[in-house]
Amino acid sequence: MKTLRYILGGPQGGGLETSSEVLSWAFARSGYGVISDREYFSNIKGRHSYVHATVSATEYPKSLDYPVDIVAAMDAETVFTHFQDLREGGYLIYNVDEDKTLYSSIPSMEHDLRDRLTALFKELGIDGTLASLTKYLRSRGVRVIALSYKELLSEIQRKEGIVPSQVSRYISSIIIGAVAAITGLDPNALDQSLRRRFRNEEVYRHNRALAMLVIDTVRSQFGSELKLDEPSIKSKEVLVVSGNDAVAMAKTVAGVRFQAYYPITPAADESFTLEEYETLGGAGSIVVFQTEDELSAINAAIGAALTGARASVATSGPGFDLMVEGLSWAGQNEVPVVVTYYQRGGPSTGQPTRGGQSDLLSSVFASHGEYPRIVLASGDHEEAFYDTIDAFNYAETYQVPVIHLLDKFLANTIATISMPDFSKIRITRGVLASKGLREYRRFDMSSPISPRAFLGDYVMWYSGDEHDEYGHIDEDPVNRVRMMEKRMRKLEIIEREIPEERRYAYYGPDKPSILLIGWGFVKGAAVKAVEELNEEGIRAGYFHIRTFIPFPTNSVTKFIREVGLENVVAVEHNYMAQAAKLVTMNTGLLVSKSIVKFTGRPIYVNELVNAVKNVMKGSTREVLSYGA
Amino acid sequence: MARKLTIQDLKTNVWVDWCPGCGNFGILSAMYQAFAELNLDPQKTVVVSGIGCSGKIAHFINVSGVHTLHGRSLAFAQGIKYANPDLTVVVNVGDGDLLGIGAAHFVALGRRNPDIVVIMHDNTVYGLTKGQASPTLRINLKPKALPKPNIQDAVNPIGLAIAAGYTFIARGYAARVQHLKELIKKAIEHRGAAFIDVLQPCVTYDDIHTYDYYNQRVYDLQEAGWDPLVRNPEELPEKAAQALAKSYEGDGKISIGIFLINPHVSTFEERLANRLPDYLKAPPAREAIEVDGRPVIDHELFKRIFSRYIIEF
Ligand SMILES: Cc1ncc(C[n+]2csc(CCOP(=O)(O)OP(=O)(O)O)c2C)c(N)n1
Ligand code: SF4
Repeated sequence: MKTLRYILGGPQGGGLETSSEVLSWAFARSGYGVISDREYFSNIKGRHSYVHATVSATEYPKSLDYPVDIVAAMDAETVFTHFQDLREGGYLIYNVDEDKTLYSSIPSMEHDLRDRLTALFKELGIDGTLASLTKYLRSRGVRVIALSYKELLSEIQRKEGIVPSQVSRYISSIIIGAVAAITGLDPNALDQSLRRRFRNEEVYRHNRALAMLVIDTVRSQFGSELKLDEPSIKSKEVLVVSGNDAVAMAKTVAGVRFQAYYPITPAADESFTLEEYETLGGAGSIVVFQTEDELSAINAAIGAALTGARASVATSGPGFDLMVEGLSWAGQNEVPVVVTYYQRGGPSTGQPTRGGQSDLLSSVFASHGEYPRIVLASGDHEEAFYDTIDAFNYAETYQVPVIHLLDKFLANTIATISMPDFSKIRITRGVLASKGLREYRRFDMSSPISPRAFLGDYVMWYSGDEHDEYGHIDEDPVNRVRMMEKRMRKLEIIEREIPEERRYAYYGPDKPSILLIGWGFVKGAAVKAVEELNEEGIRAGYFHIRTFIPFPTNSVTKFIREVGLENVVAVEHNYMAQAAKLVTMNTGLLVSKSIVKFTGRPIYVNELVNAVKNVMKGSTREVLSYGA
Repeated sequence: MARKLTIQDLKTNVWVDWCPGCGNFGILSAMYQAFAELNLDPQKTVVVSGIGCSGKIAHFINVSGVHTLHGRSLAFAQGIKYANPDLTVVVNVGDGDLLGIGAAHFVALGRRNPDIVVIMHDNTVYGLTKGQASPTLRINLKPKALPKPNIQDAVNPIGLAIAAGYTFIARGYAARVQHLKELIKKAIEHRGAAFIDVLQPCVTYDDIHTYDYYNQRVYDLQEAGWDPLVRNPEELPEKAAQALAKSYEGDGKISIGIFLINPHVSTFEERLANRLPDYLKAPPAREAIEVDGRPVIDHELFKRIFSRYIIEF
């Protein structure tokens, strides 16, 4: 087969991440493309968490889809939560020791799901035990791999001489072994991946032994029935990274030397990665500054930017809100500072560990007073990498704050991507003041973008108040008009200089008959959905917005005119279809059809395809909700 | 710098728009004198200020001035200092700004002990918003702008600074310019976080804490024999307790002078340098990040740094 889809599920903190990482790396090492999304509650240990992955022999996948081929369960809750995700003839790997467990006795399960299961089980005649559910699944053609986790663990405990209290730590390798067995995963690649994950020799040996034992057990019963085709992707070097990692790496390349942050999901991992590589292999120093709050973070980053260091913060909604005051100061003082903004579900702490795209309007408009800014949005790991570098180049070229929008989906999704093309990467620092001037005026009005000097080079002043060319407070009305115009005129320059092609991407046939417009993580599912629709003879296209300021006004207008306004559908991870509002604001064209999802789970290809068909039948609004 | 810096060099031609008689004038005077006597390089010196009457001071001194946001000056100052530790960073900030809206930053800075000087203009009111009670105004007092007596009690800035970990803690008085100048000089020369609480009469809104009021009460700790120096780390608890006791002195006397000097704590910059071997040689602000437009981190270096994330076929 070309594409494999699986779910690994278990209690948060129970080794799920290990299973996922080892499998992803093993598939990647064998030459496959992998994308692996992690869904979890705001909880450290015990609540249901799962990994939903796509492995492809032909491409680096960027989208997720249902149903899946395998559900591998660490615990009973996973089976109860995900059995409906399995395709016909799919595989369930589960712990037969839990056969007597009743769904209604699982304390970590949310009552809403329990209620839904009660209704469903009644209808299907399932008595609520795991045994009765698996029996039903067998009758529906699911290939059930019932393993006694206890026996496997005690066997490995005996063989390897593991301390009994430690053995449960190895459950992750049961999952790894079972998936490896049915997919015929290359044992060498698996071994290398285990070695990479477990740097401690003994722990590596134990995990390896257990995985091998499980592989033998499962193979003797089933063989390698879901064998993937030989990979056809030909890359010399591939990165296996989360979105957080991709951005952190790009920041080091971009030359970021100061990052301030206050911990918040899903942004904090980016700063952790930066801190881990803070000495840049001997090539310099990144100061990663954990502040007391976000107010401090943004203002420290601004302070650092004034000295000439490329500076940024990474945050999400509640943190961004606290940064808005500082951002206006940066706007007033023409400071190049970058805000890496990972959106999650709101309002308030909303769905703190889930994804969303509901902060778009806030990023575009949040300010007191008016000042120019640039807003970029990334749709996948590759875009995130290059956009990060552009964010700093733009910030310094135009001396404006730049907001780089990402989301939790991207942040926590591990994906294979090609090695960045370094020949394409440029660092542009904008207009700098020459050395040895007799007098320096930071806000010299001879052009909208005054030559920049760094604190330490010259004496200069900054003020949040309206100021004159020197940076001293000046409320004179004539000065006010000139200063406001100096700053705001940058928007025209940005409009002129950042090419239209940079602001969007289009996927699909010429002259589509239905046009999806989306942004951010919608991209992966939308591109795939468009492909599938076209295969079915529906001429669908996807217009992907990559910059909101500057906006791709001309192109979007052209595309909308060509397909006709009534055939345009916004696809977004929010309630209001916020990007569609910006399309209207910028073009005067009212996009009134939408497909939205705001459950905090990503849009899956299958549900998007289905929703587009519904829209074509006359629906004006589709609210998607698939996923556990 | 070739020539010795004079007070004249340190004046800008911005009109000083404080109310006539304001205590801020004394602080500005002491700043000029301290900067001149230390012969600071104006380009390498940054005055960071917050919002309030005190915040304007950044525009009156001919060194770089960063007039920031209400409550956030310490955050700006730290970003500047950590990105370029070669700069001398002096913060001037109001008591409302530092101990009200900015209190979290005040505490956090003490824990880090950067080589930054924080000078608090302590006038017990919010000057620029017309005389509301500041966090240093004691309970039941009613300066003239307040419609009712103060219902909140005062924080003890010196005590808070001790608890937060500042390593140079002093109090000055705006009308004792020579004394204050010496404090500022010592604070700048101190290696670590310095805090000076400056009694600053607000002649417009505070009719209680007047020059007269302070003149009758202030006395010099050092003249009274207090030795603020912590001679070894073991001595800190005892010394800090005594300094704290002095900060609570009531009976109509207000101590000025140095409460505590603790030279045994590493600065934040030193802590960074311990982790980042190149930090002091090539701090963030001065590191080259590109060569002819190409990133310093090229393909090869990238592979070396991030090898753990890379699969090569
Ligand atoms: C976030 C924010 N809140 C409120 C204000 C309004 N504000 C301006 S000055 C000031 C008080 C300043 O008092 P203080 O810090 O004691 O300084 P002083 O004027 O007494 O020197 C306030 C509250 C502001 N600028 N920003
Ligand atoms: S209001 Fe008070 S603090 Fe402000 S300038 Fe006037 S006297 Fe000084």
